[in-house]
Amino acid sequence: MTQTTDLADALLLRRMARGDEDAFAEVYRQKQPAIYRFALHMTGNPAVAEDVTQEVFMALIRDPKRFDPARGTLGGFLFGVARNHLRKRWEQDRRLVAFDGDPDNLRENASVVGSFQQGASGNGAHGNGNGHGTFATATSWDEFTSVESIGRVRQAVATLPENYREVVVLCELEELSYEEAASALGCPVGTVRSRLHRARAMLVEKLREAHSVGRASAVSE
Amino acid sequence: MNDEVKFMDCVRFEKIVHDLKRPGTEGFAFREDALAHAESCSHCAPLMTGAESLDAALRALAASNREQQAPPRVESALIEEFRRQRAASSRRRVHRQIAALSAAAAILLALGFSLYRRATSRPGVAPLTNVTEKISAPPVASPAVVPEASPVAAPAESLQQDQVLASQSDDSTYATNFVPLPYADDPSALEDGAVVRVEMPRAALASFGLPVAAMESDGMVRADLVVSADGTPQAIRLVSQDNSRQSF
Repeated sequence: MTQTTDLADALLLRRMARGDEDAFAEVYRQKQPAIYRFALHMTGNPAVAEDVTQEVFMALIRDPKRFDPARGTLGGFLFGVARNHLRKRWEQDRRLVAFDGDPDNLRENASVVGSFQQGASGNGAHGNGNGHGTFATATSWDEFTSVESIGRVRQAVATLPENYREVVVLCELEELSYEEAASALGCPVGTVRSRLHRARAMLVEKLREAHSVGRASAVSE
Repeated sequence: MNDEVKFMDCVRFEKIVHDLKRPGTEGFAFREDALAHAESCSHCAPLMTGAESLDAALRALAASNREQQAPPRVESALIEEFRRQRAASSRRRVHRQIAALSAAAAILLALGFSLYRRATSRPGVAPLTNVTEKISAPPVASPAVVPEASPVAAPAESLQQDQVLASQSDDSTYATNFVPLPYADDPSALEDGAVVRVEMPRAALASFGLPVAAMESDGMVRADLVVSADGTPQAIRLVSQDNSRQSF
């Protein structure tokens, strides 16, 4: 997020606070897709993601002065509001947690063998015992963009614990900096970094596991 | 930095392997060294491959989601809410302005009334009404014309005078003509002022320089005061009442 963007956001918000409808529409169109995607990744439910997106911008309409530019970017602020709404919803209805991290859910969807291959086979002498999975060979971009592979990655992300899932969505999928993510999540940058590191390791493991299950299924057939 | 490069090892590599493509991080700064280490380390090579594969997978996921956004009905609902809030805010602003103006008007009114009371009040004198009539030249009798004995006439004489006055027109309600007060300015020079009806103890007439018999100082009398623009009483006349008797 550049300073130019921050300035543009600040100007739009000022106009919006004075009642400029076009300014609000501009803010909404710029920021809404990322907020919606964040909510969708966090819940797995389009209807809830839609509600959360609406609530986030309702909050901005009702009290635009809640955003303090000194404390971060507008995008970070909106992600933070979205996260708070999501947490409230989870407290109200635990059913909204679409995935519980059960590997069985992942296995059911791991029918296609593709990009992810079990790594480091045969070189266990260097195993560090931390359970980090690896992909033994480089795979092509085309393989990763196959519908099945993307589906597996999406599900692997969805099965991460909430704290890890949100840093993956913010830092990897929405490409926020560590600082922006820390502002949105209300935690130190170091926490974001360590959570992301751990989340990525978990993702590698999940995908390796899904791949091995899928491969076994293919062999048995 | 070069010193640190020399110490790139597996532990350090594992620490930064997921940050190699993230600008501003330690991993990005030591990316070349990490790559060099991975090429020569059989333990770290798969980690490197895994991290790169994951990067590619997440990029693919992000790209597949890029077009996702909230449906248009959300924007419509929000625009409606924005208009509602703007209208409500505008109404609140008008209400605040009206309230401020009302408060200012009330304060000015109270201040004016207070000044008026201060200007018109004298010890023991209570105004019955506010300004009863505006005058440009009050009908003040010349001091020489006013019969000195008349205001302090005997009750019987006063009664006769009342009866005579009562038979006349509007002026018949007044027991006397206006009598200039001793300290008053020249009544003929009075360009603006007001007539104020008051009720006062009979003894208070003395403060206006009128003689009051000691035995008749009890009770209340009604009178009209000519008050100049600066609030100073200039002249007085007694008001005849149905059941009252003005006598001095």
